[in-house]
Amino acid sequence: MIKGLTGGVEIVVASGKGGVGKSTISASLAIILNRRGFKLVAADADAEAPNLNLVLGETVWDSIEPYYEGRYAYIIDEKCIRCGECLKACPFDAISVVDGRYVVNKLICEGCYTCSFVCPTKAIRFARDIVAGYLRIKYETRYGFPLVSGEITPGRPNSGKLVTEVKNKAKKIGGPDSYVLIDAAAGIGCQVISSLAGAHIVIMVAEPTPASFSDLKRIYKLTRHFGIPAALVINKADLNPEYVEYIKSWAVKNKVDYLGSIPYDEKVAYAIAEMKPVIEYYPDTPASRALYKIGGKVASILSNLEEWRLKYLPEKIEPFIPIVIKPS
Amino acid sequence: MPKKIAFVTDKGGLDDRIYERFGRAPTFTIVEVGDNGEILSIKVVENPGFKAGSGAGIKAVQKLIDEGVEIVIGPNPGPNAYLALQQAGIKSISMLGVTVREALERFLSGK
Repeated sequence: MIKGLTGGVEIVVASGKGGVGKSTISASLAIILNRRGFKLVAADADAEAPNLNLVLGETVWDSIEPYYEGRYAYIIDEKCIRCGECLKACPFDAISVVDGRYVVNKLICEGCYTCSFVCPTKAIRFARDIVAGYLRIKYETRYGFPLVSGEITPGRPNSGKLVTEVKNKAKKIGGPDSYVLIDAAAGIGCQVISSLAGAHIVIMVAEPTPASFSDLKRIYKLTRHFGIPAALVINKADLNPEYVEYIKSWAVKNKVDYLGSIPYDEKVAYAIAEMKPVIEYYPDTPASRALYKIGGKVASILSNLEEWRLKYLPEKIEPFIPIVIKPS
Repeated sequence: MPKKIAFVTDKGGLDDRIYERFGRAPTFTIVEVGDNGEILSIKVVENPGFKAGSGAGIKAVQKLIDEGVEIVIGPNPGPNAYLALQQAGIKSISMLGVTVREALERFLSGK
């Protein structure tokens, strides 16, 4: 536990690059930590493509709560004088003429208000707080811990707000002494920033390729921005052992705790196909043995969390300043 | 000159703890402090970023600007909020794991 902490401990698994094994590692880590007695809650924070539940073999939810967000325009036909101004003005081409009537395609509309500014008859209204996604909850997965998963509705803007709600729900279910393991989305956008905000540990996953290393450095930069200590797991390590050494030396130089590597193992793919975490389906395969080792290291970090954090906390906050392009 | 200091909070008030995230924190507790460190007023305001789908950090900073806040004490703000705070000239101080009262004491004693 961390002194003065109000909620649970947040552990985020993130990678920048997609397909490096975040969900596979998250699922196995969750099981290992839960069995070692940590009061764990798993949270899938990849709302665009949630699949942690599928890796864990869960497809039936105990509760599905709607998530409200955003707005879209609609046109009151009686007020519309068919001047076409809205159609011309819409920056997203969301307005078209259907059977002589002006209509807004709500899947394309971003709710930017431009049409309502140009409409001479004030015929445009906005539908608000529409169902933009769902919070899906399994109170007890087959591996014993709860799972919270966010899912965005197609056409709705994805956002960090849904991720915030997923995290808050997970912490509420787990209580103040829980450990929330968050499977973050790929990238470093809004969703991922929201996954990281308020986190206590980031476990970064990389594979030994330049593409993955480049994205790893980006996610690392975000951890420095937020002042979160970071650890590293290298997956599919034997595909390029020299590059593993290269990434490891980068980690040492940058105050990242290297937890170990996982070899490329085709059993992992078979386990995913069977919807079972690899440590469950093939407990003796090389990837599973590596995962158990890494799980043990994470468990000892959690047992001495304050000490570990002091050791790996960034020395100073390095602000991640977005590039602002101003119109000339 | 009295100073307005905002604290990033959940329910708000002097005994609430500093909330762990900036842009989507539920409230800000704004404390007006006099020249001798005395508390002149305490106000809890809702953070519009809490309910924002996107641009939460920016909306939170706008609220602080509207309230005339000079200093904000809480977690490290996200990238966009960081930039907005900088442009608004609001100083951000990182403090976590303490109550608003403790954070204020620490700030006033210069720790």
